[in-house]
Amino acid sequence: MDPRRRRRALHPAAWWAWAAGLATAAIETTNPVLLSLIAAVVVYVVATKRSAAPWSRSLVVFLRLGLVVIAIRVIVQVLFGDRIAGHVMFSLPQVALPSWAAGVSIGGPVTAESVLQALCEGLRLAVVLLAFGAANSLASPYRLLRCLPAVLYEAGVAVTVALTYAPELVTTIGQVREARRLRGRPTRGLAGLRGMAVPVLEGALDRSLELASSMDSRGYGRRASATSSRRRATVATVATVAGTVLVLVGVYDALGSATPWGLGAAMLLVGAGLLASGVALSGRRTQRTRYRPDRWGGAEWLIALSGAAVVAAFSIAGALGVDGLQVSFYPLGLPPVPLLPCLGILLGLAPALVAPTSAPRRGAADLSAARPRDVTATESR
Amino acid sequence: MIRFDGVTFTYTGADAPTLLDVDLEICEGELCVVVGTTGSGKSTFLRAMNGLVPHATGGRLAGDVRVAGRSTRVHAPRDLADLIGLVGQDPSASFVTDVVEDELAYTMENLGIAPAAMRRRVEDTLDLLGLHELRGRPLRSLSGGQQQRVAIGAVLTAAPRALVLDEPTSALDPAAAEEVLASLSRLVHDVGLTVVIAEHRLERVLPFADRVILVPGEGAPLRIGSPEDVMADSPVAPPLVELARLANWSPVPLSVRDARRVVAPLRARLSAAPKAPSERRAPATSGAAVASLEGAGFAYDEVLALSDVDLGLHAGEVVALMGRNGSGKSTLLALLAGARRPSIGIVQVRGEAPATLSPRRLVRSVGLVPQDAQLLLYCETVAEECATSDKEGGLGAGTTRGVLDQLVSGVPADRHPRDLSEGQRLALALAVVLAHDPPLLLLDEPTRGLDYPSKERLEGILARLSAGGTSVVVATHDVELVARVADRAVLLADGEVVADGAARDVICHSPVFAPQVAKVLAPDSWLTVEEVRRALRAADELAAQP
Amino acid sequence: MSRTARARLAVRLTTRASVLLATASLLGLAAFGWPLLVHARAGANLAHAADAPWIFVALLPLLLAIVLGEIAEGSLDAKAVALLGILAACGAALRVPSPGVAGFEPMFFLLICSGRVLGRGFGFVLGALTLFASSLITGGVGPWLPFQMLGAAWMGFGAGCLPRAAGKREIAILAGYAVVASVLYGALLNLWFWPFAAGTTTSFSYVPGGGVLENLHRFVFFDLTTSLGFDLPRAVTNAVLIVVLGRSVLGALRRASRRAVFDPVVILEDVAASPGSGPTSGPRHHRVVGP
Repeated sequence: MDPRRRRRALHPAAWWAWAAGLATAAIETTNPVLLSLIAAVVVYVVATKRSAAPWSRSLVVFLRLGLVVIAIRVIVQVLFGDRIAGHVMFSLPQVALPSWAAGVSIGGPVTAESVLQALCEGLRLAVVLLAFGAANSLASPYRLLRCLPAVLYEAGVAVTVALTYAPELVTTIGQVREARRLRGRPTRGLAGLRGMAVPVLEGALDRSLELASSMDSRGYGRRASATSSRRRATVATVATVAGTVLVLVGVYDALGSATPWGLGAAMLLVGAGLLASGVALSGRRTQRTRYRPDRWGGAEWLIALSGAAVVAAFSIAGALGVDGLQVSFYPLGLPPVPLLPCLGILLGLAPALVAPTSAPRRGAADLSAARPRDVTATESR
Repeated sequence: MIRFDGVTFTYTGADAPTLLDVDLEICEGELCVVVGTTGSGKSTFLRAMNGLVPHATGGRLAGDVRVAGRSTRVHAPRDLADLIGLVGQDPSASFVTDVVEDELAYTMENLGIAPAAMRRRVEDTLDLLGLHELRGRPLRSLSGGQQQRVAIGAVLTAAPRALVLDEPTSALDPAAAEEVLASLSRLVHDVGLTVVIAEHRLERVLPFADRVILVPGEGAPLRIGSPEDVMADSPVAPPLVELARLANWSPVPLSVRDARRVVAPLRARLSAAPKAPSERRAPATSGAAVASLEGAGFAYDEVLALSDVDLGLHAGEVVALMGRNGSGKSTLLALLAGARRPSIGIVQVRGEAPATLSPRRLVRSVGLVPQDAQLLLYCETVAEECATSDKEGGLGAGTTRGVLDQLVSGVPADRHPRDLSEGQRLALALAVVLAHDPPLLLLDEPTRGLDYPSKERLEGILARLSAGGTSVVVATHDVELVARVADRAVLLADGEVVADGAARDVICHSPVFAPQVAKVLAPDSWLTVEEVRRALRAADELAAQP
Repeated sequence: MSRTARARLAVRLTTRASVLLATASLLGLAAFGWPLLVHARAGANLAHAADAPWIFVALLPLLLAIVLGEIAEGSLDAKAVALLGILAACGAALRVPSPGVAGFEPMFFLLICSGRVLGRGFGFVLGALTLFASSLITGGVGPWLPFQMLGAAWMGFGAGCLPRAAGKREIAILAGYAVVASVLYGALLNLWFWPFAAGTTTSFSYVPGGGVLENLHRFVFFDLTTSLGFDLPRAVTNAVLIVVLGRSVLGALRRASRRAVFDPVVILEDVAASPGSGPTSGPRHHRVVGP
C-alpha cells in the first residue's frame, strides 16, 4: 500500500458493520467471560484507531451509560426480584404492597444466583451499548450522512443543514447574550430566556429563508425523469406494507413459539427483505451524483467481514450446541469458557491491524478548527 | 443572454406592481451594475432573472423573462441552475454543507453531473477563485471574503452562463470586498461570463461596469445605459460622481484615475477659496473627559488582541476607530462597553471601570450598538420594543419612542422590527440604547448594508449627538463615513494604536483610508464633496465682491 | 376554506405517505409494546425474548427511512428542507444540556410549537430529524435512537392535529398537550427499556401470556415508581416554556411561514395581455403546482 492510501479515512459504514457484528454477538450470550472479551476487543480497537475528532469521546459516554444500566438492572433485581430458592446473601425487610400494585413485591431474601444473573443481563446490554459507542467514536457522523440511502436524500440534506448550522447557533447565542448584557437585561431566568430565545429563533428562521432561496437556485430538487417513478413508488409502498405485516406476525410468532426458529423466523426474514427492497426501490426516483464518494475498498471489506465472522462463530456455536453461550447460575458455579466463540471474538480485533490510522481528508475539517475561529469571530463581529 | 419582455410583476396582496413593464436585454459577456435604493425592487428584479420570482415568492407575472432562450414562466429556478447562478448578500447563509470542497460540489450533485466531470470542475473552480489552499477547510473558519468567493464558486461549478449577485460585498469589509470584486472582474474578462451585480457602494464596482441599470423604484421605468450616462443624473451616486456633478465634468469619470486627469481646473478654483481646508475642523479635545484607557491590554486565551492602549475620549467628540479585521477594534469597544475586563491596565468610563458596573448602571454610562443591530431587539412590534425598553430600563413611558422619533420620523409602530429597513432598524436599536442617555456611545460597523440615504441620515444623527455633548466612538471600515463625521481617527494595527489624531491628518494621505474626494484632490486635503461645495461657494462670493 | 388552509402547509401528506406513516406507526407500536402482548404458548421458554427488542432496533430504521423518504418525495421543497434543518439544529441545541436517554428535553416545546404552526406532516419529520441530528452532533447514536425518533415524530404529528384555537386558549391547549405528550413519550421509551431493566425474573417484569391488562398494570406500576420522577419535571418544564415563550415562538414561526410562502400561488398572465388590465381581459390563470 502506498502511503497516501494509508492515510485515507475508512468508510464509516465499515465501522458500523463491524460494531453491529460485535453487538449481535453480545446479544446472543449472557456469559460474562464472552461479554468481557467482546468489551475488551471493542475498547482496544477504539483505543488504537480513534481520531482526535470530538465524537471520538463517545465511547466513554457509552461506557458510563453501560455502568448505569448494569446498576439499574441489579438494583431492580435486589429490590423486586422473584423469590427463588438459592444462596441467600442478605435479606431485605419485606414490604407488603396493596392490591393495586399489580402483585409487585418489595424486599425479601436476596440470593447470589439472582444477582449474578441480573449482573450478566445488565452486562449484556452494557456491552451492546459499548459496541454502539465504538461505532460513534470511530465513524464520522458527517461522512455517515453522506452514505444515507437515496430515499433519504431530502431528509439527509435537512440533517446536513442542521449539522452545519448547529455550531453557528452556539455563536449566535453568545452574541445575543452579549447584546442582552449591553442593554442591561438579564440573561438568566424566565425573562432572560424569552429575551434570548426570540432573537436566536428569529435569526435562525430568517436564515432558513435565505438558505432556501440559495438551494432553490442551486438546483435542489431537480429531477431528471419523473415518469417512471410512479409505478415503482407503488411497488415500494406495497412491499413496505406487506413487509411490515410479515415482520409483525413473524416477531410475535417467534416470541411465542417453543421451537427456536420456526415459521415466524422465516416470515420475519421475508418481511425484512421486503422492507429493504422498499428502501431500495423508493430511492431510485431521482438522478443525483455524489462528489468523491467514500470508497469501499479492501480494508472496508476486511473490517465488515471481521464483524460478520464474530456473528458467524456464535451462530455456528449455537447450532453445534456448544455449551456456555447462555449461562445459568442455578446451580451456582463458574461459567464455562467455550472455545469457538472466544476465538470468534478475537477475529473482531482485525480492524486494529487492518484499518489505516485515521488522518482523514475531511476529518480535520469537521469541528476541530472551530476554536481559532472563535477568536476571530469575536474580533471581527 | 437575459431578456425581459414586457415584464410586470405584482406580489400577492400588493396594491401596485413591483416591476412595471420592464423591457431590456443584458448581452452575453457583459458586466451590468444594478443601482437603486433599498426597497426599490432591485432584489425582485434580480430574482426574476432565475425564476425565484415568481416561483418561490408567488405573485402575478405578466411578460416573459428568458435566460438563453429558456423562459422562467415554464422553468423553475432549479431547472435554470445550469444557466444562471444567484449569489446573495450573506454567503454564510447560503451554505448547505460545512466544507469548502463539498459546498462547491453540491450544485453539481443536484444536477446529476458525472463524478469525473465533477472532480475536474471543482479543481478548475478552486484555481479560478484562488481557493485551492482552502479546499478542506470548514466554511465557518473562513473570512468573509473567502466565504463569499466560495459562494460564488459554488454556483460557478454548475457552469452557468450568467451570474447574478445581490449586493455580494455589502456584508464585507473593504479588503474582502476588493478580493471578491477582483475575482469577479477576472470572471468577466478571462471567462467571458455575463455578470449582473447590485451594489450599494458604487465606488467599488463602477470602474468595472459595462452598463448600468437604474431601478428608481415606485413604478418608475428602469433605465439601462452606459455608466457615464446613467450616473450623470442617478439619484444614487458615489462621492466621485457627486464631485463630478459639482464640477460639471462630462462625461462623468468613474474612477479616481479618470477624475485626476480632469481635476486641474477644479483645483485652481479651490485654491482661490478663502480658507485652507485643514484649518476647518479641529478635534474637540476641549470637551470634558468621558472615558479613558491607560495601558490597557486584552488577551483571548493566549492570543494578544490588544496591548498597551492609551486613549482619552471627550464629550462631544466623534472618534473613528479604524484598522483591518482582527486589529483589535471590536476588543477595544468590548473593553469600553464593559463586556470584557482588561487583562492589564485601566479602563474607565466617568471614573468607573465599566466591567464592574451592574447592568442597570452600565447602560446609563455606555451604550453599544453591535454590528448586527438586530441582536438588541426581541419584541414583536416596534411599539412593544419601545415599551419594553421603557419598562425594563425604569424610564418614563414614551421615552424610547420619543428618542426614536428624534432619530428618524415615521417608523411604523405596528411593524415587526425584522421587517423594517436596515436604516430604520439601526435607528430603533440606537433609540433603545440612547433612551438611557449614556455619555458614551459605541457603534460597531454601523453603515454595513445601509444605502446612501440611510447613511446620510445616520451621519446627521451622529452630528446631532456630538453637538449635544455625547462622546461617540465608531469602529468602521467606511472611509466616507469617517470623512464626513469623525473629528478624530484612531488607527489600530495588531492590537496597538499606530495613529491617533485629527481625522483629516490620519486618513487624508493614506492610500488605503483616503476617501475618494481626497484621492482626486490630493495633495490638497479635502475630505468630502460638501467641503468642496462650500469652498467653491465661498470662492464665488469672494470673486463676486467688488 | 379548507383548500387554502391546506395549501399553506409546509409539508403535505400524500395518500401514499399517510398509508406508510400509519404502517410505520403500527410497527412502532408493536416495537414499543411487545412485552405487553407476548402470548407464550405452552412450553415456550422465551428464548427469543432477548432478541425481540433488537429485531425492532434493526427494522424500525428501515421503516422510518421509507416513511421519511415518502413524505419528502414530492412535498419537501427547498424551503421546507431549509426550515427543517434549521429548526432541527435549534432543537438539537436545546437538547445539548440534557443528552442521553432521559433528560429534560426542552426541545419538545419547540417541536410542539413547530408542529402546531407548520402542520402535522412537518411535525412528524421534524421530530424524527431533530433527534437524529442531535444524536449525530453529540455522537450518541444508540439503540434507542429509532424509538426516540418515532416517539418525537408522533409528538410533532400530534401537535399538528390539535384543534383550532387562538390566544390564551391556544397556549393552554399546547401546554396541556406538552404535559400529556411528554409523559407519554417518557412512558413509551420506558416501555422499551422495561425488559432490559427488569429482565424476566423480577416481580416488575412482564408476564408472558399474562394478558395485556395484567402486563399493562405491571408496566404502569413500574413506570410510576421508576421514571415518573424524571418524566413529570420534564413535562412541567415544557409546559412552562410554552406558557412563557409560546406566544413569541408561535408568532416567530407564523411570521416565518408567511414569509416563506409555502406552496406559492403563481399567476401567469398572457404575454399579450397588457399589464394591469385585470381579469376582464382574460388572463390565463393557472396555478403552478409547488415543486
